[in-house]
Amino acid sequence: MKFDSVEQILTFAIGKEQEAADFYTDLAGKMEGKQMREAFLEFAAEELGHKKKLEAVVEGKVLLSSEERVVDLKIGESLTEVDAKPDMGFQEALMVAIQNETNAYTLYKNLAVATDDSGLKDLFLGLAQEEAKHKLRFEVEYDDFVHQEN
Amino acid sequence: MPKVIDNTQIGPQVWKMRIEVPRLVAKAKAGQFVILRVNENGERVPMSIAGLDKENGLLTVIYQVVGKTSALMTTVPDSGEISDCVGPLGIPSHVDNWGTAVLVGGGIGIAPIYPIAQAYKEAGNKVHTIIGARSKDILFYEEEHSAVADEMHVCTDDGSVGHHGFVTDILKNLLDGEEKVGMIMAIGPVIMMKVVANLTRDYEVPTWVSLNPLMIDGTGMCGGCRVSVGDKTKFACVDGPDFDGHLVDFDQLTSRLGAYREQEQAAMKRFLENPGCKLAEAVEKFAYPS
Amino acid sequence: MTENTEKLPPKERMKIPRQSMPEQEPNVRNSNFQEVPLGLTEEQALLEANRCIECKKAPCIPGCPVEVDIPGFIRLVMDKEYAAAARKIKETNALPAVCGRVCPQEEQCEMVCTLSKKFKPVAVGYLERFVADYERENDLVQLPEIAPPTGKKVAIVGSGPAGLTVAGDLVKLGHKITVFEALHKPGGVLVYGIPEFRLPKHIVQAECDVLAEMGVEFQNSTVVGKMDTIDELFEMGYDSVFIGTGAGLPNFMGVPGENLIGIYSANEYLTRSNLMRAYDFPNNDTPIIEGKNIAVLGGGNTAMDAVRTGLRLGADNAYIVYRRSEAEMPARAEEIHHAMDEGVQFHLLTTPIKFNGNGDGKVTSMECMQMELGEPDDSGRRRPVPIEGSNFIMEVDLVVVAIGNSSNPLIPQTTPGLDTNRWGNITVDEETMETSRKGVFAGGDIVTGGATVILAAGAGKKAARAMHAFMMNEVASQV
Repeated sequence: MKFDSVEQILTFAIGKEQEAADFYTDLAGKMEGKQMREAFLEFAAEELGHKKKLEAVVEGKVLLSSEERVVDLKIGESLTEVDAKPDMGFQEALMVAIQNETNAYTLYKNLAVATDDSGLKDLFLGLAQEEAKHKLRFEVEYDDFVHQEN
Repeated sequence: MPKVIDNTQIGPQVWKMRIEVPRLVAKAKAGQFVILRVNENGERVPMSIAGLDKENGLLTVIYQVVGKTSALMTTVPDSGEISDCVGPLGIPSHVDNWGTAVLVGGGIGIAPIYPIAQAYKEAGNKVHTIIGARSKDILFYEEEHSAVADEMHVCTDDGSVGHHGFVTDILKNLLDGEEKVGMIMAIGPVIMMKVVANLTRDYEVPTWVSLNPLMIDGTGMCGGCRVSVGDKTKFACVDGPDFDGHLVDFDQLTSRLGAYREQEQAAMKRFLENPGCKLAEAVEKFAYPS
Repeated sequence: MTENTEKLPPKERMKIPRQSMPEQEPNVRNSNFQEVPLGLTEEQALLEANRCIECKKAPCIPGCPVEVDIPGFIRLVMDKEYAAAARKIKETNALPAVCGRVCPQEEQCEMVCTLSKKFKPVAVGYLERFVADYERENDLVQLPEIAPPTGKKVAIVGSGPAGLTVAGDLVKLGHKITVFEALHKPGGVLVYGIPEFRLPKHIVQAECDVLAEMGVEFQNSTVVGKMDTIDELFEMGYDSVFIGTGAGLPNFMGVPGENLIGIYSANEYLTRSNLMRAYDFPNNDTPIIEGKNIAVLGGGNTAMDAVRTGLRLGADNAYIVYRRSEAEMPARAEEIHHAMDEGVQFHLLTTPIKFNGNGDGKVTSMECMQMELGEPDDSGRRRPVPIEGSNFIMEVDLVVVAIGNSSNPLIPQTTPGLDTNRWGNITVDEETMETSRKGVFAGGDIVTGGATVILAAGAGKKAARAMHAFMMNEVASQV
């Protein structure tokens, strides 16, 4: 995929947030348990929140920074891959979300590497940072509850 | 302490115990299991339900003597007692009308297949039951199964009765035949269930298997019974014991079943050396396979 | 020490040093399962009791999660009325022999003790244990008065500290109590989770025996949710139900290789050793793997229990492998020190990312990474971040995963309308402990996630009060 302009990139990113929201909404519909349904609907709502933020960037109301340092707990890196199944529990739901955000983060990092334009590069890195924040939010919850005594 | 109504040897290595646990029996369904403890120092061992006499509140379990605990079980007299019998555990077997269903029972699996066959029949299925054992001596429950199945098929490894060969030979014939098989349920040694699942995968016929990992509490508290199904780890005691045979990692199950081989052999040896043990001679015939 | 203790002024009392708990020597006790702390002698108990300056404010009382009248029971110890002191404690805490041993007093009553500002706090825990043991060992346990029968029936699901506390409080009020326990012995985590060397099982049985004498019926080997559901219990005539089923679902790491032979959840490892007495195999039939190089993942009391058990079972090397730093370890400082003295090796800021096995499917090593604490996050907490390239291999033949427990889902799954949070913890009214189902109450780890015995007991007290009011108001309104 080739990106030539800021507008193009942001349109792509906004589309990706909608995709993520749809992904979680879809999963919510498949869950057997009410708690898991609600959890995934919440994740979907969060993605729509991210989408709104990017729309605000388009309107010039918000700036994305690639400078901000976001902690990466790297919890996702050592976990076995999880397939979303209707009877999954919350630990697995978090693993799915962490995987999803990690994929998005990696995508933007790779796109940043692939472009020579410093302006576009910065934008991709800024988007990567946003995904890193989303990933951290799930990793923190995982850290708190799965590793209660670890 | 649950009362044991009778404890009868029904084959060279196979025993049948009936336990009076009315409340448990009232609630239990085919495919579930119980956990027994023979005495105060005993292990907690899972036993598949082989029969439910709802009228009299009697639970039937059928067991093979393969180690110290099963050997110890044979010493419980008629009208005796065991320390505990807890259940019903696990999720009952899924029962539906698939048209034609095939149940495969290998070795000791012939027992738990029986109440499931009854349930399948009651649901309106045409029931084929295939039972197999190493030899005629070890076969049991032929009459019981005949009474339930629309068609009964028997096989033995040594050809002493029925088809000379394996359950999968008969199963393959059925699958190649005219009838459309809607569901297969297989219970038996892990290798048997694995081979059945491998066969039926090519025919794309849904296949349930009932897994028998080592267990301690049976209520999902410890994870000792964990099995890999697809890419997920499941607890056989609360998510099973039935699982989709096409997704089970049978090799991992086989491996995990061997976790205590050394301790089991030592325990059996010690049991047989016990001077007061009247069972030692009889049990020696079934020396734990190394 | 003068005979007439009232005359001893506070200044003199403060000169008495805090008594040391006699203990088995580390190199002796790390190969036996007998209790490590041996209990204060009577002489020590009297000295220790006299250290209490009986301050007006008594900050120790609110410092206790169930507000035991600490100065009250200590006064009775000073007067050598040990059984009476035990009874005083039992007015608020049904399990002093247990709590005296396992409560984190250093974070509760002893932390706020007036003496702790300049000196060492009064050893409230040691004294609690002393009087409870004295009462029991000298056959001085008196059953409290039981109120006339109310005609109400209570079903308690789970015989851990929460359930036992509810049973004790409600049977006194004249209700008919049945405790349903899934395992074959009552006590819950007290009997399957905490090892013999920290909490002897005969003590737990003795507490249950007292309850049985008071009229509590125990139905062991009965799994509510499989045998009968909560709804069926109501149909059977129970007027209220308490759920104290605990945090009985083990958390696993979710990294590759976790199903290799030799990798246990802490629940399984400890249940084999403690409940099934596998430490005395083959006198008891349940086996346990006796690893030579064992790694226990986690830093809580459960991890300390597991690693010290492994040492006693003959490990040459017993490691604690904990993701965070020592300051963050949730285990009691006392138990961490016990573990260190016994020879446990601590690998902090370390975590496995993969388990490796051999051709027999047995674990042989784990690949670990070193961690460092990152920047504080929104909650202000610094979390562990793996250090790139710090991977190393640790040879192990036994791994115990003691990273935490979640709530066992059986009861929520079989009780329609019973609300939980997404982690499976039952949601309750904070004051009454009532759940989203009328007449169904819950407390202990099933509500909070893994926590302490005393917190479970405290929840049990609240629930018992509310259950009594719930049941009796119904009667009142009928009149």
